[in-house]
Amino acid sequence: MIESTIAATRRQMLALGMLAAAGAIRAETQPKITMLINQSPWFDGFKKMIERYEKDTGNRIELDVTPFGGMLEKTRNSLRASAGTYDLVALNAMWMNEVYSGGFLQALDDIEPGYRLPANVLDFDQSVYWNDAKKSFDPSGRLLGVPVNGNVQVLYFRRDLYKEKGLKEPTTWAELEANAKVLHNPAGGVYGFGIRGDRGSATYDVAPFIYSHGGRIFKDERNGDYTVALSSAASLKGLETYIRLAREYGPPSPWAMSQDKLIQLMATGKVAHAVAVIAIWGALDDPKKSAVVGKFDAALLPRGEPGRHASAAGHWVAGIARNVPTERKRAAMAFLKWFVRQDVQVAYVQAGAVPVISGLGEAQFGKDDRYRFLEALSENSRNSVFYAPVKERVEINDLIGLKVNQALLGELSPKEALNQAAEGIFEIARKAGYKTGRGEIL
Amino acid sequence: MGRACAAMTVLRRNNLLWRWLSLAPLLALLIVFTVVPVAGLVWMSFHDRQWQSGIGVWRFVGLDHWREFTSNLYYWPGLRNTVVFAVCAVSLQMLLGFFMALSVSRAQGWLRGLLTTVFLLPVVVPPIVIGAMWKLLLGTEFGGVNAALALLGVPAIDWLGNPALALPSIILVDVWHWTPFVFILLLAGIEGLPQDALEAARLDTLSAWQSLRHIMLPLMAPTIAITLVFRIILTFKVFDEVYLLTSGGPGTATEVVSFSIQRTFFGRDDVGLGSVMSVFTLFVVALLAVLAIAASRRRRSD
Repeated sequence: MIESTIAATRRQMLALGMLAAAGAIRAETQPKITMLINQSPWFDGFKKMIERYEKDTGNRIELDVTPFGGMLEKTRNSLRASAGTYDLVALNAMWMNEVYSGGFLQALDDIEPGYRLPANVLDFDQSVYWNDAKKSFDPSGRLLGVPVNGNVQVLYFRRDLYKEKGLKEPTTWAELEANAKVLHNPAGGVYGFGIRGDRGSATYDVAPFIYSHGGRIFKDERNGDYTVALSSAASLKGLETYIRLAREYGPPSPWAMSQDKLIQLMATGKVAHAVAVIAIWGALDDPKKSAVVGKFDAALLPRGEPGRHASAAGHWVAGIARNVPTERKRAAMAFLKWFVRQDVQVAYVQAGAVPVISGLGEAQFGKDDRYRFLEALSENSRNSVFYAPVKERVEINDLIGLKVNQALLGELSPKEALNQAAEGIFEIARKAGYKTGRGEIL
Repeated sequence: MGRACAAMTVLRRNNLLWRWLSLAPLLALLIVFTVVPVAGLVWMSFHDRQWQSGIGVWRFVGLDHWREFTSNLYYWPGLRNTVVFAVCAVSLQMLLGFFMALSVSRAQGWLRGLLTTVFLLPVVVPPIVIGAMWKLLLGTEFGGVNAALALLGVPAIDWLGNPALALPSIILVDVWHWTPFVFILLLAGIEGLPQDALEAARLDTLSAWQSLRHIMLPLMAPTIAITLVFRIILTFKVFDEVYLLTSGGPGTATEVVSFSIQRTFFGRDDVGLGSVMSVFTLFVVALLAVLAIAASRRRRSD
């Protein structure tokens, strides 16, 4: 009896020892890596995933959390150095083309041959694949990153006011305008519609209007035709719709409306509709930050007539630096593969962040009212457009932003704004050596 | 005689050598931190940089960046705004700073300490805090200034969104922020004035205005000129207030040169065009500084 007890204890000790050894091996499977990430409304959710990854795998990830304004410089400094500081960098849609085209990232299938993104991971208008020969996104190009935040625009609307007035969710801009008209009551403290119009945001916010009406910036950049196509009847219709909604149903001075002001107005219940990024959802449903908890809903952005649905991609992609040691590249790859797992993405949403895979809205937890935005997120992600996918994107974004802002101000007519922006884009494309042309002028 | 001459020559040579030796560290610093960067800017203004496979490739482009610069959408409105900004802000700061310095120099006891502390407070507040604070104060819907005006029945004013008011609003913030800097320099100037000259003016029964105009201001001309040059240079570098309050908008109503340069260099990563803008701005600021110093010298010789 005693012998059998001792034997059992020995076996238990042995098993415990083996488990401990396995744990030690697991804890040392990957070297510590460093990631550059931005301080943003979704960061807390991302941080929780890092903590979970460290707990699950024993691997360590050190985060350098940086305000948005400092991200680009830190990214450039690290990627351009002979030895990089960061193994993983979070790239915003605004500058991922510059980083891709500069050759600073290691293609993921170089690190793990044959690796493909799982089918349910959103690629946001193919923006994770880069074709160096075409100088553009291309699904047959190299896979350079994995999305870490699925930020796209959605239509926010006050479901309580919709119920009160018996309104239907709009599917076209004309329907949205009609609903905005019904709810527009500045004397009562509610504006029908809110959208950003300041110089820095105007291009991103006007893009769904232009693309949903059939307009675009270049004729066919994915196939190497950079003829400027911005100045067209379709773009004009889109721009006029944007200006009319912002001016007639929005708060005063829409040309000075920035993200923080729009969030303030939404959170204090002063706008009935808004076109804004999904990343601010958490703030609107947080009782500490919002007076309208549970009152907003999200929907697919309306389409033009004729036209399609379009939402501007404003997502973040994590890329692996070329200028870091191979074992750290492998460690970064291990994290990215873990990150896009379905169970991790569910936990990511529950932690208040924006997921990067589709289909979560149909999952059981997605039926919970707290996650009512998931369906709109998936639909808008499927309809996301990545305007001006070239390395000169920041310059083009600045230029269109200024001209649209001046059109909102009334300094330029919508036609003049599009013509001047198109002329400027042609000069940028010509200087950069693209196969380009002036295209139509209104 | 000949030996004495030779000794004098050796002494002179040693003296010259010593002068150069003592100046050498300063010269080296000047070359490393001023001449080399400026020469680098000039060089970059004729070159273009592209990144290929992670390596920066420089290419000579001649006057391309200079030609592009002449029709730049942001720089020229920015230069106009910066000049308006510099003239208005520096004039107001010099005027207010001088009278603040005068009042403190005449105050006695605890009042003097209190006034100095209160006047100096804005200059010690970090610019980022000033931007955030004034953004909250000048907001249209929820701003403190409009809330105060509403108590008097004044309708909400769009301080930062109205193109006609945006630049004056930023000028006011800059005046609030930087007048203490002028105040402290001018106070030091007033404190350093020869008391016998002021006493003589009093005995000559000159009025306060006559004493100020004919005695104090001419004596303070060097201090005023230096302060003026400092402030002109600093106003040309204004960035944080614009960045935080309006980001150059609406339209180009508050665009300033430093903002254009920052966006070109760091946003667009166009170091060639950014260098052209920097070299040209350097030239404009140097010209203004030389003019200000020359005007001050002429006034002193008069």
